Amino acid sequence: MSLKRNFFAGVDVGSLAAKSVILEDGEIFATGLVPSGVDSVESGLKALNLALETGGLKQEDLTYIVGTGYGRVSAPYANKAVTEITCHAKGANYLHPSVRTIIDMGGQDCKAIRIDQDGAVVDFAMNDKCAAGTGRFLEVMAGVFKVQLEELGALSLSATELVPMSSTCTVFAESETISLVARGEKPENILNGIHHAIANRISGLFARVGITSDVFFSGGVAKNSGMKHAIEQALKVSIVKPEIDPQLIGALGAAVLARSFSKKEGLWS
Amino acid sequence: MAKREQYEYPSELREEFEATDDIHFRDGSRATAADIWHFMTEVAPKKYPFAYTQKKYAGGRLSRDIHLPSAIKHNYLLLTMNDRINKSRENGAPVIFVQGGQSVDPYYAAGGIALRPASVGIWARGRHEGLGLNEEVVRSHKQKEKANHAISFEVCQSAGYEHIQEGDLPVDMVAPYTCLRCSDISYGVEAHRHGPNKAVKLMNIDYPMRHQADKPWAVTYFAQNLRRLTSEIAKRAGREVTDEDLSKEIKLHNEGRRLAIDTAELWWSADVPPTNSVDRRALYQMGGMEVHGDPSASLTVLRESNAYIRDRVKRGIKADGVIDKPIRLFVCGSCVSPNAFRIEEAGAIIVGQDNHWSDISTLVKEEGDPYQNLAHAILSYPYEQSVEGRAAWTVEQLKKSRADGVLFLYKWGCNTQSAIARMLCDTVKREIAIPTMIIEDHEGGSEQSEQMLNRVNAFIEMLG
Repeated sequence: MSLKRNFFAGVDVGSLAAKSVILEDGEIFATGLVPSGVDSVESGLKALNLALETGGLKQEDLTYIVGTGYGRVSAPYANKAVTEITCHAKGANYLHPSVRTIIDMGGQDCKAIRIDQDGAVVDFAMNDKCAAGTGRFLEVMAGVFKVQLEELGALSLSATELVPMSSTCTVFAESETISLVARGEKPENILNGIHHAIANRISGLFARVGITSDVFFSGGVAKNSGMKHAIEQALKVSIVKPEIDPQLIGALGAAVLARSFSKKEGLWS
Repeated sequence: MAKREQYEYPSELREEFEATDDIHFRDGSRATAADIWHFMTEVAPKKYPFAYTQKKYAGGRLSRDIHLPSAIKHNYLLLTMNDRINKSRENGAPVIFVQGGQSVDPYYAAGGIALRPASVGIWARGRHEGLGLNEEVVRSHKQKEKANHAISFEVCQSAGYEHIQEGDLPVDMVAPYTCLRCSDISYGVEAHRHGPNKAVKLMNIDYPMRHQADKPWAVTYFAQNLRRLTSEIAKRAGREVTDEDLSKEIKLHNEGRRLAIDTAELWWSADVPPTNSVDRRALYQMGGMEVHGDPSASLTVLRESNAYIRDRVKRGIKADGVIDKPIRLFVCGSCVSPNAFRIEEAGAIIVGQDNHWSDISTLVKEEGDPYQNLAHAILSYPYEQSVEGRAAWTVEQLKKSRADGVLFLYKWGCNTQSAIARMLCDTVKREIAIPTMIIEDHEGGSEQSEQMLNRVNAFIEMLG
């Protein structure tokens, strides 16, 4: 007699990317990551289908799906919707049970999250309606320097000095950057300044939430080595290395919750 | 708005509703339950389609707890505000623009009608018929943007002043208790003082701040301000005002306050929520006797509702659509209400709000000089004390309401609440270890963005 395999999916539809993670029982089985489109239902399904294809599965093979991110309100394929704050906590806890603090920098917001040993949120703070420190902010900056978003980190780390930035507002920082370029400042030094200005701003979120080791960095911006370095300096911490793409942590947490909810609902034992 | 998108009260409810009490108005007239049913099912859906929206994100939807008469009657009184205020003005009652969080006993004692900024907004809204939700929001935003320019920066309760300056709302006086908790009222008062429309009299009822209730000079000073106020209103109403008039009014308003306190305590004592968040808020607000622009009407609905809540609590009846054991949120701060429908969908319920509860839960002594008594009560409002004093009172309310968490909300540009929020939340955490969350609201209109809802939902998940 063969035991039935149980698959659980998390789908995280963010402002810039839609992500999906499928767990087989407790292990990561497949993932999917696609750019978000205008239609958040379609974006979520694309990410989910990519993960299903990668794993050779069909949607009906899934025992339970949890939707998260801003697109969770339009996720008819999901059994349940949970905010990405809770999901990032669960995702980080899944990878590193010793993590107590998460810095999540996504496409349109950033969060400071403190969690307990079970991955439950103890406290959190978010940026207030300001794009500073988000993927969108860095996209705009990459546009100013006409480089790919992925190149910003390495470029910043090659800086020989730090050019101070007075503004972290996306629009004003863009015009300030253009002025600095016109003055002859080197792009890598300006980027170094931008990353440190953002890191200082993010560290303000932790003034209330507090920082306890281990510290985890999730979200798309976590792929930026220059930002990671600037945050480590600003917060005086060492960030643990993620085993998977940090942009998938929200979807991973959603999949972990899908496993837990479906067990509570008696769908498997 | 297409008919299918509008909420409709179930017709099978009609008989049950029509057996409920009439509403008695201050001028001696009344509305029977049949009149109210007809207005809410036949007239208002065409006159004010925005109120019947079924949009999932709209925070101002009608309560669906249809067996609670006040759920329908409260909305009836809001939707008839324009007609009723116009009628009262025609009968000689001056309308006075006041501010949030203050009592209104002296205004009515002198023959006037006191309207807070939110009520002025409801009155203004009622003058535009046939608007769907989006059209109504666009109208309201336009007025607010004009007001922001007139006042010179973004404040929250600004639109009322703009209506007065433009003369499209026939307000007779601007006379708030100034220096109360709201910085924006003071800016608005200054904008009105310097605005081109000088026809509407400005009278500041000067409120001495911070620990003044125990200082005899401060009580006497404020009592003198109240005498100036009633004298001026009475002059405009073409009548005399006596101490006896104020004493009678205080007794009437005290009945409302007592009923609101009793209703809140019943609600808090219940094992399962006897109303939803929207109806709970409406019920306690009625105790302030201002919300409908007619204290007698508010009192009628509150008396009837109190009996319903008592019965529901006694019999363990839960409000329609509410879950058994929701997360209990207490909301602090002024001028922002979270979307209660979405909060309930997320598994929580709002068990209290400090805004207005401060003045509603402050009873006025009934024996002795009514001006001195009223002044003393007003200077005792817990919300207007030092942050430490307000926090201590808030902690008491949190204990009574058995709150699981505190949401402190305030408007962008609110200098007072933004300064208080962190200190108050820190005190709450220190004293009773309840999680708190502060959100600055940048939005207007009837729908809250996903940004706001996301934060609130995450907070509820954290408490769960």
